[in-house]
Amino acid sequence: MLYALTTEELMQRPDLWEAVHRLRHRIFVEEMGWEDLHRTDGLEIDQFDHDEAVHHIVIRNGELAGYQRMLPTTRPHLLTEVLTDLYVGVPPSGPNVWELTRYAVATGFRDGRRNVSTVGSELIAGFVEWGLPRGVNQVIIEFEPMWVLRALQLHFLARPLGYQRTYGRQQVVATLLTFNESTLEVVRSRRAHHAPVLSRGFPEILGQRQAS
Amino acid sequence: MSHFDRTLAYMSSLQQAETAAAVCERLLDVTSQFGLTALMAGTVPQAGTPIGKQKDHVLLCDWPVEWLERYVSRNYVDHDPVVSRMKQLQAPFQWRDAAGEIRIDRGGQAVMGDAGEFKLKDGLAFPLVTLDGQVVMVSMGGEQVDLSGLEFGMISLVATYAVGRAMQLLIAPERTIEHVDLTPRERECLKWAAVGKSEWEISQILGISEHTSEKHLLNAKFKLGAVNRVQAVAEAIRRGYI
Repeated sequence: MLYALTTEELMQRPDLWEAVHRLRHRIFVEEMGWEDLHRTDGLEIDQFDHDEAVHHIVIRNGELAGYQRMLPTTRPHLLTEVLTDLYVGVPPSGPNVWELTRYAVATGFRDGRRNVSTVGSELIAGFVEWGLPRGVNQVIIEFEPMWVLRALQLHFLARPLGYQRTYGRQQVVATLLTFNESTLEVVRSRRAHHAPVLSRGFPEILGQRQAS
Repeated sequence: MSHFDRTLAYMSSLQQAETAAAVCERLLDVTSQFGLTALMAGTVPQAGTPIGKQKDHVLLCDWPVEWLERYVSRNYVDHDPVVSRMKQLQAPFQWRDAAGEIRIDRGGQAVMGDAGEFKLKDGLAFPLVTLDGQVVMVSMGGEQVDLSGLEFGMISLVATYAVGRAMQLLIAPERTIEHVDLTPRERECLKWAAVGKSEWEISQILGISEHTSEKHLLNAKFKLGAVNRVQAVAEAIRRGYI
């Protein structure tokens, strides 16, 4: 299941809060080598973990399996403050446009090097499902150009916001993805899983594995 | 119109194309300004794929016909240095760099030499990965290729949109491979079943009851649409889930 929590709600759950920031550090600093984000306590936190950020959390078997952070574009966000060379002209913004950052699938929940894992596709289904009833139909994502093909396969309307750049060993392109109900249908049928993934409330305390 | 706005205009024209041939033509309209006049994009045939089957892997193709015939009939795909570099899932690169960096076997030299004969002296190539983990190789070439760094990125991005459009056009419902959502436990049980373990043995290995291991295997069998456990294991391997 996927839970959407505000920063305040996340902070009410120290176990989750720590797991989230530790996962982010492990993936973005230790695995991808974004040294600017390095912290000695192993918890990656930045200025965008503010009170309007929404944290999407996927739990599997009592463990944090996946994560992404949604930021409103009505206030400063990564594209406008940090990744400024990724757009040309005026970047899209408004209440219907959010920025998706820190997309992460924990190592144990990946499906080989090439496949989009079930946790990964749950995050995708999750932001579409979360967005539609809130009047959000566009997200800005800074991702590898490889993802453009996958986005098109899932029937997102994709538009680059600027040129692709090389950061370290990675190519990155900022892309605006537009979606609607039919995108959600395609995402669900590609997953062969039609039930909603977004869940209300809070997950159980981490580490409490369900009996199999 | 700025350089970037032009790029966007190319992309939207590509996304409106209604046939693979139209996608091809519109992409080449863009790339031929930079000397890229031939295009080939397709999924990777496994080494040793029968010659007759290789053409089924093609998504977009505007390639000199005789060159394609020769390429297929001499099985160049197994020796092409550009193909072997794409298989390593590298970022976009130029043909001449692939030929320079990897040690080319005699077959590889023949491929590059022959390509030159067909006015394909240099080009750019890059791999893409689909949702199902299939690798799509994109290669564009010409006689005189002239690209700056920015143009190189622009061309590879436009080509990615072209492949995306081609795939949208291609996917008739029966060709869609539905992704099956196996749980980690179901996958684990299948892995052990694949090496010949019985339900009881699997239950001992995983520390679960025999009934539970049986249940996981039954669920996996059902999800994979298999009639028995052997087919479930085969299907899971074929789809790359275990």
